[in-house]
Amino acid sequence: MILYISTIVVLILLAPLLTNFIKILKMYLLYKKPVSIFQGYRDFSKLLSKEIVLSKESSSITQIAPFLVLSPLLLTLFFLPPIAKGEYYVSFVDAFTITGLISLSTFFLMLLGLDSASSFGGLGSSREAFISALVEPAMILTVFSISMMANSLGVGQAGVNLANHFPYEHMASFIFAGISFFILLIAENGRIPVDNPETHLELTMVHEAMILDVSGFYLALIEAASSIKFIIFASMFASLFMPFGLNLPLLLAILVFILKLFFVCVIVALMEVNGAKLRLFKVPNLLGIAIVFSFLSLITFYVLGA
Amino acid sequence: MFLFDNLSNLFIFLIILGVVPNLFYSFGYLSHIKRKFYYLIHYFAFILSMIGVVISANALVFLLFWELMSLTSWQLILTQIEGKSTIRAARFYFFMTHFGFVFLLLFFLIATNGNLELNFIQMKSIVSHFAYPTLLFFFVVFALLSKAGAVPLHVWLPYAHPAAPSPVSALMSGVMLKVAIYGLFRFMFDVFGVWQLEWGVLVLIIGAISSLVGVLYALSEHDIKALLANHSIENIGIILIGFGMGMIFSSLHLATLSSFAFIAALFHTFNHMSFKSLLFMGAGSVLHETKTKNMEKYGGLIKSMPITAFTFLLASISISALPPTNGFLSEWMIFQSLLSSSVIDNISLKLAIPFSVFALALTSGLAIACFVKVFGITFLGLHRSQNAKHATEVNFLMKSGMVLMGFVVISLMLFTPFYIKLFDNVIYGLNQTSIYDKIFPNIWSLHSIAYNGGVVSPLILLAGLLIITFILYVFYKMLNIKKRVFHTWACGYNTSSITQYSATGFAGPIRRFFTWLYDPDIHFEKEIITGHKSKFVDAKFSVHVEPLFERTLYRSGVRLTNKISYYIYRLAHFEQRKYSAIIFNMLLSVLFSYRIFVHEFSWSTLALESVMMIISVKILLVGSKR
Repeated sequence: MILYISTIVVLILLAPLLTNFIKILKMYLLYKKPVSIFQGYRDFSKLLSKEIVLSKESSSITQIAPFLVLSPLLLTLFFLPPIAKGEYYVSFVDAFTITGLISLSTFFLMLLGLDSASSFGGLGSSREAFISALVEPAMILTVFSISMMANSLGVGQAGVNLANHFPYEHMASFIFAGISFFILLIAENGRIPVDNPETHLELTMVHEAMILDVSGFYLALIEAASSIKFIIFASMFASLFMPFGLNLPLLLAILVFILKLFFVCVIVALMEVNGAKLRLFKVPNLLGIAIVFSFLSLITFYVLGA
Repeated sequence: MFLFDNLSNLFIFLIILGVVPNLFYSFGYLSHIKRKFYYLIHYFAFILSMIGVVISANALVFLLFWELMSLTSWQLILTQIEGKSTIRAARFYFFMTHFGFVFLLLFFLIATNGNLELNFIQMKSIVSHFAYPTLLFFFVVFALLSKAGAVPLHVWLPYAHPAAPSPVSALMSGVMLKVAIYGLFRFMFDVFGVWQLEWGVLVLIIGAISSLVGVLYALSEHDIKALLANHSIENIGIILIGFGMGMIFSSLHLATLSSFAFIAALFHTFNHMSFKSLLFMGAGSVLHETKTKNMEKYGGLIKSMPITAFTFLLASISISALPPTNGFLSEWMIFQSLLSSSVIDNISLKLAIPFSVFALALTSGLAIACFVKVFGITFLGLHRSQNAKHATEVNFLMKSGMVLMGFVVISLMLFTPFYIKLFDNVIYGLNQTSIYDKIFPNIWSLHSIAYNGGVVSPLILLAGLLIITFILYVFYKMLNIKKRVFHTWACGYNTSSITQYSATGFAGPIRRFFTWLYDPDIHFEKEIITGHKSKFVDAKFSVHVEPLFERTLYRSGVRLTNKISYYIYRLAHFEQRKYSAIIFNMLLSVLFSYRIFVHEFSWSTLALESVMMIISVKILLVGSKR
């Protein structure tokens, strides 16, 4: 139980580091001088001490929504697969609940965007609504297919089952599901082919547009939420699609898990450096690829058993 | 004459849950209605007729109350006549509901062998000996789904619901559609008893298409009540997906899985009743205050109408199937029963079911987008019109109606085991397997009974969310942060009501992506300054979407009828010779068809006689071209 709680604490603490790590890697690859590795924590602590500027046009939703953006994601952290053998884990919560909790957080984020009566907020919400609506079917089909291979719909149980018994016999559908899930990871977290988290240009903004009018403590909550969302997806990818290292000795297992998280970050950073952001109306093509791969994964599993 | 078994009692309970908050709301709304006596007498007759349908034991009583329900609701739509559109909507509703009634009558005439006083059990023996059960099934589908509003018989909903007074639309959408679902349960289990696999697949397909079509048209709509009506189509689709899965599993002899799917369908029926009534009440309050149904004229109402806004928010979260609300729980159950399709042996069926998983998942994603749009445009931001500026909170009775319905929504979330127990009893009473103990081994968590199924625990989720939010809030209070109020940042300009995103703009990306379905009618007028296309003083942009089914199925039906009637008109030359030729041909065709279809059938005589008919028609009627 202590291990369980401390894992969650470690994940929360690691979250700003990971998103910052992607930024550092990108800056390094673009021959810029990288920021400090602790920049994420510095930003967070600075935001905590700043005053909150509320918009005159906004309503009570602005004061409620930031809490409800973060809390479903924090709750999701409790349901992730274990990272070491013998650790307590919640075996029963299935991926629908996790998808639902993430959607709940997105729902309030979109309301937050509409609340400040600025056209930026509406723009961001509208685009986010469009993207997340198309992410949903791919997500559920991928989950369906991975749960077949893992013999359990519960995410925690699926992680353990995959680590104990790697599905060699279903390698094809496993890889298809992995590709689909990785596209979803990028789309849900607003990384480059879908959204550029570093720009404030209205042509390209999605996530940043929604939170343009949020400041101080509320902004800290939202920023924490986005980095925690990334770590949720990264650790789900690490446990479900790179299912090894769970049965190693405790410290080694934790180390392997953290390395896997950093590996995901490296891939994301490389994709960001080497790719351009897609036009908004090209994004459905990318998500369509995810949907097709998840269907393929299911069909190969059913028909070929491979 | 009447029966009170578990199924009837359950639906009486549903009607009571839907009606009691509605009564409060309705009396609050009464000051808004001019013809009070007319309204009240039809309103109560409507409620009683719905109860009458669910307790009637024989065909005659069922038909009587069914027709009474249709007629009273038709009259209720006509309570407040605002121009021709109301009358047209009412006429359309009248036509569609009687289209269904004809099929219901046909069904009963065959199922009871002409003696309409037989009860459902007696009908079963007649139906089981009837040679073409699929024909009867199609009668049931046409009769009930035209009432429930499933594709392709859904077109009346977006017209009839907005035209009715708000309490009535809450009742019609929340409760009356569920009476049709009651009929589906009653006829399928009590009259048919057994069914073929294809019937279940048909219901599943209708459900999947309805859910997608409903939510897509809801997104393009900016009349708030028409939008909610389109969402009723979506939710009926979701219920039918659950029901169809139940039928499929049942015909494959997977008893526990089929019970699970039927329970999911019943649960979603209850949930849809609760949140859709609440949404219609909220929309009615907004409409009552702002005097317009156009969402583009709302905005900022959360400041003046907090209770309406927060109950509406609760219902929005629930209908978007977000945890831990009741809408999420029932959609979760339906997803679980779709995922348990992996135990089916029939490979083509097994491959087909992921497509309905896809439809349902896309539906729930789009529903979230749609309710962000509804809530965000209606209640957040700045007032978009003078009407919205002068809105105040509605009166006490209307508020209490909404709050009571909010409690119904919350009770469905908190007391899920209790409700599931009720549904399980009903399913058990319909000769299915009882699975309550498997779904709820303890009252804390809801188990799927699929082979590798998941578990969800509404109470733990709710408690977890509340505790974490509370901890964050305490942390926030401890930091003791200063707050300052300032303008929204708008690149140095002031924000005004017209620079906000509109409902049309919000749905823009989705409308553009699904443009093949919407085929929107876009009008863009601007006054151009001295020939420069990019500069204009005044611009007007409007989008109108006409539903595909109306455009194709219904309009082309009308066009076909027109064409046929034109040819018939051409035949009539008002000459005695022509009329006698028509009579002769009619006589010939009656004699021939009697010989072919009743007396004895053979392909050769059919061919010969049709050739003779064609020659006779050609020579006597059409004649040579002059």
